[in-house]
Amino acid sequence: MMAIRELKVCLLGDTGVGKSSIVCRFVQDHFDHNISPTIGASFMTKTVPCGNELHKFLIWDTAGQERFHSLAPMYYRGSAAAVIVYDITKQDSFHTLKKWVKELKEHGPENIVMAIAGNKCDLSDIREVPLKDAKEYAEAIGAVVVETSAKNAINIEELFQGISRQIPPLDPHENGNNGTIKLKPTSQAGRRCC
Amino acid sequence: MADNLPSEFDVVVIGTGLPESIIAAACSRSGQRVLHVDSRSYYGGNWASFSFSGLLSWLKEHQENSDIVNECPPWQEKILENEEAIALSRKDKTIQHVEVFCYARYEKYLFTINYVHDFLFTCLQKKPAVRIYMALVATSLLDMLKIDLVTKLLYSRGLLIDLLIKSNVSRYAEFKNITRILAFREGRVEQVPCSRADVFNSKQLTMVEKRMLMKFLTFCMEYEEHPDEYKAYEEITFYEYLKTQKLTPNLQYFVLHSIAMTSETASSTIDGLRATKNFLHCLGRYGNTPFLFPLYGQGELPQCFCRMCAVFGGIYCLRHLVQCLVVDKESGKCKAVIDQFGQRIISKHFLVEDSYFSENTCSHVQYRQISRAVLITDRSVLKTDSDQQISILTVPAEEPGAFAVRVIELCSSTMTCMKGTYLVHLTCTSSKTAREDLEPVVQKLFTPYTEKEIENEEVEKPRLLWALYFNMRDSSDVSRNSYNDLPSNVYVCSGPDCALGNDNAVKQAEALFQQICPNEDFCPPPPNPEDIILDGDSLQPEASESSAIPEANSETPRESANLRNPEEPSE
Repeated sequence: MMAIRELKVCLLGDTGVGKSSIVCRFVQDHFDHNISPTIGASFMTKTVPCGNELHKFLIWDTAGQERFHSLAPMYYRGSAAAVIVYDITKQDSFHTLKKWVKELKEHGPENIVMAIAGNKCDLSDIREVPLKDAKEYAEAIGAVVVETSAKNAINIEELFQGISRQIPPLDPHENGNNGTIKLKPTSQAGRRCC
Repeated sequence: MADNLPSEFDVVVIGTGLPESIIAAACSRSGQRVLHVDSRSYYGGNWASFSFSGLLSWLKEHQENSDIVNECPPWQEKILENEEAIALSRKDKTIQHVEVFCYARYEKYLFTINYVHDFLFTCLQKKPAVRIYMALVATSLLDMLKIDLVTKLLYSRGLLIDLLIKSNVSRYAEFKNITRILAFREGRVEQVPCSRADVFNSKQLTMVEKRMLMKFLTFCMEYEEHPDEYKAYEEITFYEYLKTQKLTPNLQYFVLHSIAMTSETASSTIDGLRATKNFLHCLGRYGNTPFLFPLYGQGELPQCFCRMCAVFGGIYCLRHLVQCLVVDKESGKCKAVIDQFGQRIISKHFLVEDSYFSENTCSHVQYRQISRAVLITDRSVLKTDSDQQISILTVPAEEPGAFAVRVIELCSSTMTCMKGTYLVHLTCTSSKTAREDLEPVVQKLFTPYTEKEIENEEVEKPRLLWALYFNMRDSSDVSRNSYNDLPSNVYVCSGPDCALGNDNAVKQAEALFQQICPNEDFCPPPPNPEDIILDGDSLQPEASESSAIPEANSETPRESANLRNPEEPSE
C-alpha cells in the first residue's frame, strides 16, 4: 500500500478568473457555465499517484474573501503549494497576479511551491496576455506555469502533476506532526487518562 | 477592486474580533446575508496576533496620536429629514500606555534592520512615552513572531472547543497542548503535578503528600455528590477551606493558585471547588494539562470563523470604515450604515464592537483595563530536557488590591517565535499602568540582557531580550444599557476580557445570535458539498474509515446523517 501524503493547496487570483472552475474540473471533471461565486464549497480533495506516493491534494478555495482584498493570513498556513490563476483574456488579472505572489511571500510558508495558471486558454483569439510574459515571470519567481482551460479540460491534470513533481520528497525525520493536535469529534475518547 | 459592495444585507457586523466573527459565521450559516467589515487592515481587532512588522505598524498607530482622517465624503448630507445618525469613532482608543524596551544587541539574534531603527528613532524623538534602550531586530527572524494582543488558552472541554468541533471550524486550525502547569513559590519556579501520572512521578512531593493530593483531587471531581463534606465551609473563602483539609501548605498553594487559579480572597469554597473540578475534568482529553493553544497564535481563531462565514456567502471587507449608523426617527430602529465612500448600506441587524462607538455613545460607560506585557527571552523559566515546553504560571499578587499575574510561556513549536527563544505573555487586571503592574513580576522571573557575558557563572534566570507593555480596554462587563441611545437592532460586542478561557466570547456570541435569529441552530455542522455532488464517490479509498458518524453530528437532522465530515482530511 502506498503512503498517502496530504498536501494543502491554496488558490489565489482575482474574482472571476476561474479558480473554482479549475478545481471543479480537476476534482469532478465537470464544468458549469453558471457557476456562482464560490459559496459553500470551500474545500475539495483529490488523490493522485506520484512516484511511490499518493498525493492527496486538499484544495482550499478563497471563499470569496479575495474580492475586497481581505484574505485572512490563516488561509496560507501550512500550504505545500499555491495555484495562482489569471485570465489570459484580461491583462489586469495578470498584473494583480504579481500582487498575489507578493502577498504569498509575506504570509505563506517559506518553501511553498508556486504554480501559475493562465486560465481560459480556449479563448485565445481574444487573448491579452502573451504566454511569453507569463513564462518569463514564472521563471523569475521559480514557479511552474501552464495555460489551462477549465472549460475544455486542457492542462488541468498537467497543472497538478507539475505541482506534484515540485513537492520535495518526504523527510523521514519530519514524519508525523510532532504533537500538533487537530480537533476532531472522535477524540472525545481521549487517549490518556488522568 | 472596482467592485462595489452590495447595498443590502440582513446583518452588518463591524469588527472582526472573536465574538463578532463567531456571530458572523453563525448568521451566515443560517442563511442570513452578512457583511463583515473592519476598519483595520488585519483580522481580529484586539484579538489579533502580529508578526513583528505587523506589530510595528500597530505600535505606530497607537503611539502617533495624529488622527488618520482619510478623506471621507461627509455623511451628514446623506441623512434624510426623518432620520438621525449615530456617528462611529474613527480612532481606536482601547490601547494605552504603550512602552517598548529592547535590551542590547544580541549577536545571535541579529537585530539589524534599518527600517526598524528608523522607525524606533522616530518614535523616540516624537513620543517620550516610548523609551527604547536599543533597537535591534531582524525581520527575517522576527517575522516568524506571532505576538498575541491577548493570550488565552482553550480549556479542552470549554465552550470554544465544543463550538469549533460542532461547527467543523476546527478543521481550519491546529493546536498544541500546554505541557506544564508551573507555580512560583519562595522565589522559585516549580512544576505543579496535576494529573495522576504527574502526582505519582513527582519528585518534589513526599509519599504522604501524594496520597493527600490524590485524595483531595478525587473528592473535587465529584464534590457535588458529597455536600456534607463542604457545606459547613460555604461561607468562607476557598483559601480558608483548603486550610481545613488534610493538605500541606505546599499542596494548598498548588491547588489554590495553579489548579483552581484563584487567589486568597477571590473565591468562595464553592467557586474554588467548581474551578478545581473544571480543571480536572479537562485533563486527559488532549494531553496531561487541561489547555490547548492555537498554532500561530490566538489571532487565528477569529479568522477561522470568518472563513466559515465567507464559505456560506458572507462578504468580507477589511480597511473599510463605517462612518455612521442611520436611525429611522419614527420606528427608532437602525436601518442602514454609511461607509467611507458615502455608500448607504441597508440592513436589518447591526452588530458593532465596543471600540467603534464614539465618546458620545460611551460617555456613561465605565471600562476596566487589562495590563499586558509581551517578552522575548532566551530560555525557559524552568529548564528541562526538552526545550519545547509550553507553560502557564500564575504569580499571586503581593500586595492587597493588586491582581494575580498570569504568565504564558510559548516555545517555537507553537509557531509564534523563533527557535532558541521564548515568547512570554503576562496578563492581569489593571490596577495601574501595564508596566507598573507587571514589571515587578518580570524582574522576579527574568534578568535584562546585558552585553557583558558573565562567564563561568550559571545564569539562573532567563534573559530578557525585548519587552512590550500596554494596557487594553476590557469592555466585557459592560451592560448594554450603559451605552447611550442605541436602537434595539444595534447589538454590542465586547473586546477581549481578562479571563484565561474564551467562554465569555462564545456565550456572548450565542446570546446575540439568538436575538438576531431566534430559534435557529447555533453553528450546526455544515453539509459536505463534495458529498452532495458526488454520490458514491470512488475517489475516496478511505471512505469506510470516515463513515463512522462523529459524536458531534449525532443530533443533526436525518438528511445530513449520511454526509461525511467534509473537511476531515486525515480521517
